[in-house]
Amino acid sequence: MPSWIQQSASRGILTSRYPKDAAADEEVSPTGRPPLPVAGVASLPAARDSCPVGAISDTAVDQGKCIRCARCVAAGLTFTGPVEAATRSRDDLLRISSGPVPSPAAPPPLARLGRSLHLFLVDVGSCNACNLEVLALANPYYDVQRLGLFFTNSPRHADVLLVVGVPTPEMAEPLRRAYEALPGPKAVVAVGACPISGGAFAGAPGLVPGLAEIVPVDVFVPGCPPSPTAILDAILKLNGRDRAARGGP
Amino acid sequence: MRRPSWRVEPSPAVGGEATARALAYVPDDGRFALYNDYAAGVSVLTLTAPSPDEGGPAALWRADTDRTRPHALAPATEVDGYGIFTFPYGPISMGVPEAGRFDVRTYGERVLNLVPVGGFKSRRIRETVVGRPVADAALLVERMAGNFSASHVAAFLEAAESASATEVPTAERWVRGLAQELQRIYNHVHVIARVAEAASQNVGLAQTHALAEEVLRVQGAFFGHRWLFGALLPGGPARRLDAADRHRLAERLGHLAEEFERLWLLFLESRTFIDRIQGTCPVSRAEAVGGGAVGPTLRASGVAWDDRLRIPVAPYNDLFVPLPHETGGDALARLIIRAEEVRASFLILEQMLDRWATASTGAEPAGSPVAPGRGIGRVEAPSGDLVYDVRVTAGKVDALQLRTPSRANWTVFAAGMRDAVFTDFHFAFESFGFVFAETDG
Ligand code: SF4
Ligand code: SF4
Repeated sequence: MPSWIQQSASRGILTSRYPKDAAADEEVSPTGRPPLPVAGVASLPAARDSCPVGAISDTAVDQGKCIRCARCVAAGLTFTGPVEAATRSRDDLLRISSGPVPSPAAPPPLARLGRSLHLFLVDVGSCNACNLEVLALANPYYDVQRLGLFFTNSPRHADVLLVVGVPTPEMAEPLRRAYEALPGPKAVVAVGACPISGGAFAGAPGLVPGLAEIVPVDVFVPGCPPSPTAILDAILKLNGRDRAARGGP
Repeated sequence: MRRPSWRVEPSPAVGGEATARALAYVPDDGRFALYNDYAAGVSVLTLTAPSPDEGGPAALWRADTDRTRPHALAPATEVDGYGIFTFPYGPISMGVPEAGRFDVRTYGERVLNLVPVGGFKSRRIRETVVGRPVADAALLVERMAGNFSASHVAAFLEAAESASATEVPTAERWVRGLAQELQRIYNHVHVIARVAEAASQNVGLAQTHALAEEVLRVQGAFFGHRWLFGALLPGGPARRLDAADRHRLAERLGHLAEEFERLWLLFLESRTFIDRIQGTCPVSRAEAVGGGAVGPTLRASGVAWDDRLRIPVAPYNDLFVPLPHETGGDALARLIIRAEEVRASFLILEQMLDRWATASTGAEPAGSPVAPGRGIGRVEAPSGDLVYDVRVTAGKVDALQLRTPSRANWTVFAAGMRDAVFTDFHFAFESFGFVFAETDG
């Protein structure tokens, strides 16, 4: 009779070698990468009007606003930006090019916690896709426990808040309380366009157009939703164990 | 061609034939009401809902509910006595990874009454789409529930097309069907994984979780986006699936189907897993019908109803669509239905990919408008019947109202939890496949 053990043995090793190796293509769908102008910045003015959320200006693509809808593809942008698109400052989301994202001089905020980090997911108004991409980090393909990352059941045991969704007025206070419950040192990751800029919901009445108005944000991960690999890179940027810090190309 | 077994009536059904039927749903603003009579095999949607004065039930009448504030999603029954207190679970908890709350009346161990509370994550989609062109509004509609995006977009576009009485290319409907079946497989597998997690069935969880990831990767590879966002909109990549793509897709789906078979048989052989969900959160046929339940929840309680078989449009009118149903009504029955539907969806996809080139050509009329500029779109989403009511003027959305499967199923979940032990909560909750995001909108 077949058993679970035989079954999992028959599947072999599924787990990615990321961040030791670069992410393979199948780990990141086309829209898992930031869009960039093929013909350079000079082509952006002509592409500007194709964007439904105003992410394209004459000089940059604001990855914090981009919802990866692909409408600008017809106007000369392609999803060729780096998978590791998370930045430690909001402004750097406007500076993403095909190379690695700018790395700040300040040391990673949770470097002194060493390898192991405890994560707590907080939804403040998502479509549920970002929640599911965060939870996907536990599946055998990403298996983040191998990297010392653990999901906890309470903010009291967490070092990191992974915040998904655009903050609704009803969630501002619960979020603040969850943040205060973290013992510290602590960090907040804004996962996806929603908490960074409001994303697809920017401008909707009553919503808070950015997580940073409620709690301090340490890392911003663009995407709608960001791929699990992009979220993983963001978390590893907190303790300096990301691929760029390891000297990966 | 199958006969349609749902219809739209212009005025309140009060005093008419439909009063004998269970009033299944009235959305927030009371712009339509839904009556189901499964014994007679019909579902009737009326364009103006009866108010409580006119015989509409107060519990379902939500015209004055502010969706952006916390509000009860199921009626509370008064239970009082020595040592009884209300325990609020949420809106932030790891057990339920979305923002929502459950007010549990208990004296410690047994759940005397449970009220799901929504309104924490309303992104004001119904309000924000007003005045936007249909294609722009669709960007918000697909984010109503990221894991049901294909169903939401399909229902919305069907409603908008019917409002403006435009012809729909058959290929469009085939692509919508393809996306919806893929997403149904993802969601059902995901629900099985969540229940396995609640049961600490760790190897089963890992393998099922891996399979869910593989479905997301297929969606990413063939539709450009792991959650299918943008795929069904004008210019979406799904329209470009050529013969070679379809061949590769069929091959990958074949492997996933085999993988699923192996996993599901192992679950069925696991006594500890089955024991944990058997008898959990039971919903009788009468409760399911009276409480307005839909989808796998309804089919697990003995009612064989599926919009794919009731609404005779492409591609489903042209395919063999299995209709599994069970009578147990418990979490086990709901899981069996989901597993059977995963098999069914693989079968539907296989038929579609086989016959794509010849069957997906030409154009079909949209559903006729139910009123000038107003259309209804109805699809079987992974968790059940999803209804969009859309008004369009000059290509722009005027008004949007909807009834989601999550919204429909809260009542029977709350009823099924009455008298349960609190440790049953996660098995029970996960077996329904709720999404707070679509409930709040
Ligand atoms: S992908 Fe969409 S949101 Fe992003 S820049 Fe292009 S048009 Fe704008
Ligand atoms: S960023 Fe996109 S995917 Fe994530 S919650 Fe917001 S709308 Fe959903």
